[in-house]
Amino acid sequence: MGSHSAAFAHSLQGWTAGLPILGATPLWIWAFLSALLVIFLLALPFGGIATYVERKVAADIQDRIGPNRVGPIGLLQFFADAVKMLAKEDFIPRGADKFLYNLAPVLVVVGACGAFAVLPLAKALVGADLNIGIFYLVAVTTLIAPGMLLGSWGSQNKWSLLGGLRGAAQIVSYEIPVALSILPVVLISGTLQIGSIVEQQGWVWQGEMMKNYHFWNMFHNPFTMFSVFILFVGGLAETNRIPFDLPEAESELVSGFNTEFSGMRFGLYALGEFCDVFVMSAMVTALYLGGWQVPFLNLENMWVTLPSGLIAIIHFSMFMAKTLFVVFIVMWLRWTLPRLRVDQLMGFCWKGLMPIAFFNVIGTALWMWIFHGKSMMQLVMGQ
Amino acid sequence: MDVDFPREIHDAIGDGAIMENGMKLVLLLAQVMTLVSALVVVLHPNILYATIFLLFSFLGVAVMFVFAGADFLAGAQVIVYVGGVTILVLFAIMLTQWLYEAKLKTTLMKGLIPFIVVMGALGPILIKETLKLSDSVSATPPEKMGEFAALAKTQLIGQALLGNYLLPFEAITILLLGALVGAVWLARPE
Repeated sequence: MGSHSAAFAHSLQGWTAGLPILGATPLWIWAFLSALLVIFLLALPFGGIATYVERKVAADIQDRIGPNRVGPIGLLQFFADAVKMLAKEDFIPRGADKFLYNLAPVLVVVGACGAFAVLPLAKALVGADLNIGIFYLVAVTTLIAPGMLLGSWGSQNKWSLLGGLRGAAQIVSYEIPVALSILPVVLISGTLQIGSIVEQQGWVWQGEMMKNYHFWNMFHNPFTMFSVFILFVGGLAETNRIPFDLPEAESELVSGFNTEFSGMRFGLYALGEFCDVFVMSAMVTALYLGGWQVPFLNLENMWVTLPSGLIAIIHFSMFMAKTLFVVFIVMWLRWTLPRLRVDQLMGFCWKGLMPIAFFNVIGTALWMWIFHGKSMMQLVMGQ
Repeated sequence: MDVDFPREIHDAIGDGAIMENGMKLVLLLAQVMTLVSALVVVLHPNILYATIFLLFSFLGVAVMFVFAGADFLAGAQVIVYVGGVTILVLFAIMLTQWLYEAKLKTTLMKGLIPFIVVMGALGPILIKETLKLSDSVSATPPEKMGEFAALAKTQLIGQALLGNYLLPFEAITILLLGALVGAVWLARPE
């Protein structure tokens, strides 16, 4: 467990060994810092910037201008929002269950930010490359459902409660197709470790020779092409995004499970939601779209030797480019598709996605058995 | 407290004594959280609060699984108990209003006689088994436990489930399928 973050902490200590104050810092402070780095340099700024980008994308699609007052082209809008939220009155409705009301946003944020620990941002930049990585990711994001449910109950508002119940039912239901669309990747890679899953989606070493090229898992076989879409749609439902945003359907439930929340508690809910969207997109990227792999290139073995720092930066940019593209599709869908009805939502999950997901798992297993684990790419290239 | 951590955790924290003490502290916190939450579950008069503390108790157990080197089990614990069981219990409470308003009374004293009877019948066996277990644990040298902890356990679990323990595994699947069909039958529209 945690070999990567430990290595990172060790190397941090190594780099600073000669420096006056930093050199004497014990290892556990570095470990703590490297964990904080993930949350504060990635999760929080992403959550903030995503609110700005979301509004800009919305404005573009609706042919408006969008936020443009704070900073150049409105870039600092999220900063202003944060200040506004922090400065707001800390309001708890009378009759609300204070304990639940305070606990709920925390559960949502912990669930979403905890998942950042295992995201493979680059080959050398993983918070903790657990050997149950993808399993951990599914496990830690389940904290979001109780968070929504308890918050909605705690605010003693029937619209909230309806939203919270819808949200929890939706998350619990769509978890199954999501888990079933993760399974084909596990079948292909033979591991739950996300770092290793990503690594296998490029050149695979065979002894001394870099022989086998394994393209993205999405193109491994015909079934995984469907799997990636089920994972995406299921993730969309789990993060309560349109067309599955029934928990906060404005036109029927005021604002759904977060109606009674204001100030920074509302901010935490919004942050949790955006982090969750990022985690979902990163999961799609890492499992099916090759993660940090640059298509057809192996940066570590080229005609020129690149410095390891540059490789890490390229890997990181590649991962972010793919992930943010998926995030963009999520935002794009919001202004394209209408909202589903509750019965349509459940029917779509249990009668639509589930059978296809099962079919994909069995199909991938058969493919692995018939073609001895070779991908379509390898069959075409005659490897 | 003298704890032998699995080797993965040793690798992660290095050999620093501060780090090890920190880890022990985390483990201690998890244990305290599990026990205190479990107590609240039993003693709290409001069933919703009892459920929430049940959630924390489950999480504490998951952390303890991680320290025992059973990380797959920890993940399963969170997915099944936090993501599944707790949510279902919450649903049941929220959809039946009187359950939330009911004040639960703790009837510890009522349980005293059954407790004495059960402990009288099973106590000797329990104590004997516990002693045997602690013997076997102390018989396994810590180095060997480290080796076990470093193994890729997910594969071992998979092979065990579909190998040696195939029959119980399939029996459980059939039981669960039966429960599923039964639930659908009960919930069918009249």
